[in-house]
Amino acid sequence: MKRPVFYALALAAACALIPTAVVGPSLAATTKGPAAGKTVKIGVIADVTGSAAVYGVQQKDAYDLATDDLKSGLLDAGGANLTFDVEDSASDGNQVANLFQKFTTDGSALILGPTLSGEARKGDPIAVQAKTAVVGTSTTADGITSLGPCVFRVSLSEAQVIPATIARTKAVWKYKTAAIIYGDDNAFTKTDGDIFKTQLEKAGVTIVDTETFHIGDKDFAASLTKIKAAKPDVIVLGALAEEAEKIIQQAATQGIKTHMMGGNGLNSTKIYDYAGPAAAGVVVGAAWYINGNYAGNKSFVERFKKKYGTAPDQFGAQAYAAAQLAAQLVKDGAATKDAMCPALRDLRVAQTVLGPIAFDPGRDVNAAPVILQIVKGGFAYFH
Amino acid sequence: MVGQQLVNGLFLGAVYALFAIGYTLVFGVLDILNLAHAAIFMLAAFATWSLLGAGAPLWLAAPVAIAGAGILGIILDRIAFAPLRRRAAPNLIPLISSIGMAIIFGAIARAIYGPDERKFTLGFLDAAPLHAGPLTFTIVQLVILGSAIAFMLGLAWVMRATALGRAIRAVAEDRIAAALLGIDLERTIGATFFIASALGGLAGILTALQYNSVQVDMGAQIELKGLAVIVLGGMGSITGAVIGGFVIGMVETLAIALGLSGWSDAISYGVMFVILILRPTGLFGKRTLRTA
Repeated sequence: MKRPVFYALALAAACALIPTAVVGPSLAATTKGPAAGKTVKIGVIADVTGSAAVYGVQQKDAYDLATDDLKSGLLDAGGANLTFDVEDSASDGNQVANLFQKFTTDGSALILGPTLSGEARKGDPIAVQAKTAVVGTSTTADGITSLGPCVFRVSLSEAQVIPATIARTKAVWKYKTAAIIYGDDNAFTKTDGDIFKTQLEKAGVTIVDTETFHIGDKDFAASLTKIKAAKPDVIVLGALAEEAEKIIQQAATQGIKTHMMGGNGLNSTKIYDYAGPAAAGVVVGAAWYINGNYAGNKSFVERFKKKYGTAPDQFGAQAYAAAQLAAQLVKDGAATKDAMCPALRDLRVAQTVLGPIAFDPGRDVNAAPVILQIVKGGFAYFH
Repeated sequence: MVGQQLVNGLFLGAVYALFAIGYTLVFGVLDILNLAHAAIFMLAAFATWSLLGAGAPLWLAAPVAIAGAGILGIILDRIAFAPLRRRAAPNLIPLISSIGMAIIFGAIARAIYGPDERKFTLGFLDAAPLHAGPLTFTIVQLVILGSAIAFMLGLAWVMRATALGRAIRAVAEDRIAAALLGIDLERTIGATFFIASALGGLAGILTALQYNSVQVDMGAQIELKGLAVIVLGGMGSITGAVIGGFVIGMVETLAIALGLSGWSDAISYGVMFVILILRPTGLFGKRTLRTA
């Protein structure tokens, strides 16, 4: 009789823990922290329009959802009046710089964003000079956090994700040769191309062809013809969504059926929407998975779907995680721009929809990537 | 691979040529660069996208958009060029005026459609590729090449065998002499703008279909290429624009085939530069520098 009682107690204890596990500490009811009653404004820079809008719209939606959640008590800022001032940088570097000027002079305690690494290289130095902390949510190129002592990111860098992507795909596809096509005039895509090349060679893979393009290019026929002739076992894409979907589609047009994989630029459901079935099976390393078993993730996905009628992608999840991080910092008492950088540096762990996150000494996020493949309507684990 | 690359270059060159003809036609007649040509290229693509979205079939939407582009060309001339012509403004002024109109057209398109990329939902765009021996291409690419060649031949016929063509050539040769011969200058210039803009609109629609992409800034890239094409072919020469378009398309493609993908644009402009050094009037340019 003792055993069933023990199991019953264990089951009851497990059931009692479920709400904590699913909802997570960050979704507890509003508490009164050191910043209670204070108004804390966070500046958010996102490409809501323009060529990077596929990422920026998700980010804006995530911050709007976070604002709702702050009002309803699902997000706890310790009683402070935390607001997210989301501004559209329109995929324009000059607009990014202007917004950094705005947020470093208007009393914002922290800046979240911008969307692209190249934009961060332009804008982050403005924040560094103004001693305003920045947390990137989707900047993944090399050297972003090196821009200043208060530049952090919750997004996994390509250097963290790509080795895992190669290890997993090589184990499954068993490739020996690869061709790389990447944009050589964009900080992120150039990083992608360089890291993939280095890591593939390190893994013993021979690069049989390397093609470059420029952001905004539409015709990849000549490059793909050359790649096809080189007969690689796998094709690597260092591209943002707008070019990636065209490369995938035009490769299919040329009858190329080679396995494909890519970096963070492919982490958008729009790739399948635009490229169609040709995109199915393309592998991408990611920082987040929609069905991932992280604290509060399921609830976040459901609320996002309910509010917008569409599922969040990695960019939305990372932005929401940044909002959760900001709420926790404010809850713990960081209510001014002077307090934010030390608070980020001293952060032990923050519970987010990406899982528990912390920063390493280089201010990069400490987390493990997931390897996904594009399927109709989203992503699935790559096995 | 070489055969496929030549085919790739041919398709790319066809669009460049079609776009550049409109550019060069206006230059040939008025001695001015119409930098709003790329905006009309873009607006025609958006018009087609809108009409298709409203339920019109492509066979109706495309001709309506092309005609609309032609009419927009006439309006452009009436607003941006005709008043300056009447005041005998120097050639730089209409150039600036055309830039202004391009910005206005772009702003209107951005206000209506936003800056995001639009896609067509036409079944045939996803059709399986066609094969001819080792060569692969799509139905859309064939339509583009066929249309480009048909419209170029059609234009050549209009220019050589019709009264309008003769009038355009006469105005291009000498505006005052043409007027003295009884040619209605304004009507001929209006017709030139109609034809040039309709061809620009056609190029915009075909480009949008080929890459299944309609964007406000879609004309920005081809604008510079078109300029290179007409300079290479000889300013004002329709034959030059056609040959120049295919040359630039081929050079770009072959640069990539030779492993110089990152340099393809630079090589295209480099070839243009070398040809201009050897032949300053371009491949088919007849104009010579006037000396005092």
